[in-house]
Amino acid sequence: MKNKTLHIQNLGQIKDAKLSFGDLTVLVGPQATGKSIAVQLLKLMVDGGQVQEEMGRYGLDWDGELPKFIDAYFGEGMQSVWKSGETHIRWDGKEVDLELLAKNRRKNKDENLFFIPAQRVLALRDGWPRPFTDYSPGDPFAVREFSEKLRVLVEKEFSGESLFPQPRRLKKEFREMLERDVFSEFSLKVDKFRSQKRLVLGSESGGNGLPYMVWSAGQREFVPLLLGCYWLMPPTKVSMRGKIEWVVIEELEMGLHPRAISVVLLMIFELLARGYRVVLSTHSSQILDAMWTLKHLRENKASPSVLLDVFDAPKTQGMLKLAETVLSKNQKVHYFDKKEGNTRDISDLDPFAEEAGASGWGGLSEFSARANEAVANAVANSNR
Amino acid sequence: MSFKKAVTETHLLENAFEKGLGALRPEDKPHIQTEDTRKLSGSVDIDKAYTAEEPNANRWDFAIGYRHSNRRTDFIYWVELHTASDSQVKVVIKKAQWLLNWFKGHGHRLAMFEREIVWVSSGSTHLTPSSSQKKQMAQTGLKQVGGTLNIKNNR
Repeated sequence: MKNKTLHIQNLGQIKDAKLSFGDLTVLVGPQATGKSIAVQLLKLMVDGGQVQEEMGRYGLDWDGELPKFIDAYFGEGMQSVWKSGETHIRWDGKEVDLELLAKNRRKNKDENLFFIPAQRVLALRDGWPRPFTDYSPGDPFAVREFSEKLRVLVEKEFSGESLFPQPRRLKKEFREMLERDVFSEFSLKVDKFRSQKRLVLGSESGGNGLPYMVWSAGQREFVPLLLGCYWLMPPTKVSMRGKIEWVVIEELEMGLHPRAISVVLLMIFELLARGYRVVLSTHSSQILDAMWTLKHLRENKASPSVLLDVFDAPKTQGMLKLAETVLSKNQKVHYFDKKEGNTRDISDLDPFAEEAGASGWGGLSEFSARANEAVANAVANSNR
Repeated sequence: MSFKKAVTETHLLENAFEKGLGALRPEDKPHIQTEDTRKLSGSVDIDKAYTAEEPNANRWDFAIGYRHSNRRTDFIYWVELHTASDSQVKVVIKKAQWLLNWFKGHGHRLAMFEREIVWVSSGSTHLTPSSSQKKQMAQTGLKQVGGTLNIKNNR
């Protein structure tokens, strides 16, 4: 797939960000460096007409004014990120006039990008997905839209069915790994409490299902992510949903044990193999370890089974094919530098790079590197 | 005591001291970059000096003395120039263990100096900072740098 580029100047914390998106792209950087703004802007670039359509459908009216549009889209108070005359955006080499986007409705209303936001835990209330209109008008569009998608998914595609394990959505291998590393002996199903439908975790040994409030933090984070993946893996012969080509997932690691993160990464590989272009933002060094592994296994023409070893995944025909496909994809890693307000392409993931942001993988391995250095010095100089 | 004096008073190193980076093989010298070559206190080829006495041991390569601007005494960089590959990690760890043992015996004079034990690895390495191999190296007192050891005046 041809790489797409997004160049952002003077938007919020971002002074100058040049992003190139491969088949799999990972964004790293400290808090409040503009990663979330960048991926929300990406959604706007890819799906401007669909965003306008959805916002209009749910009664949002920004009077054709950009500041109001920004508040409605990015969230209340965000209009200050836009600096008139200074903010410039180039999408795939072409200057984009956001004021024009706010003023005129676009004809193309197709949805090409599915966004799984960092605040996905908010998508469920008492164990049931919240509709778009359940949120405050000042809440970010990405959260409201994701929540609405889950509501439609659960109401229309899972009436009375078990959501996990779910043979029509996930490969058997994934189901077994999720049982092993996330759900234990629990299943996820629709239940009713005083006529109110809700998702509960049920145990094979019977008894009442566990309602949302007693789920672990990891399960609360994981269930919306799983449902988001279900949305992208329709139970039909068509491997992709509608016209969606892009998937953005913010901080997929939230609340998850490293073993569960490994399974989620394999599910990301499944999305890649289905043809989606995936963008992740993360604070997890494990995800960059995975990117670094992919890079070196690809460059050294390693066998797909080696990749499965890394993820402790079964070496079935299906999984080997998946690993082979993922190893053929291209990848990019960008670092958002807080001090400079810019981004750097650190796709080489070279631990020996001269520049600290590159060698420390955008700060994600800095602590380990410093810890190694401190221990090495202490051991080398003991008994002097 | 200076680096030179400590070398010349060490078993089997009596005649091994060389000025600057003189103890290193010509092909190894480009892997050591110093901010000021005049601050080099000398070098010694440990591996060569101990070949006859310990032919089968995992002997360490070199020691390089440097007088840092912010140090009163010589600082010693214990340098192993070794090809990088994951399978070589254990070999270099064994060499570092040999060195640490040697400090307790014949190398006790040189062990008095502040030091870094550095694996200058040529070729590509495949160890992340969070990997257990990196932790094993750190626990042995070993640091790994890629390609070149850069020695600055201040440390």
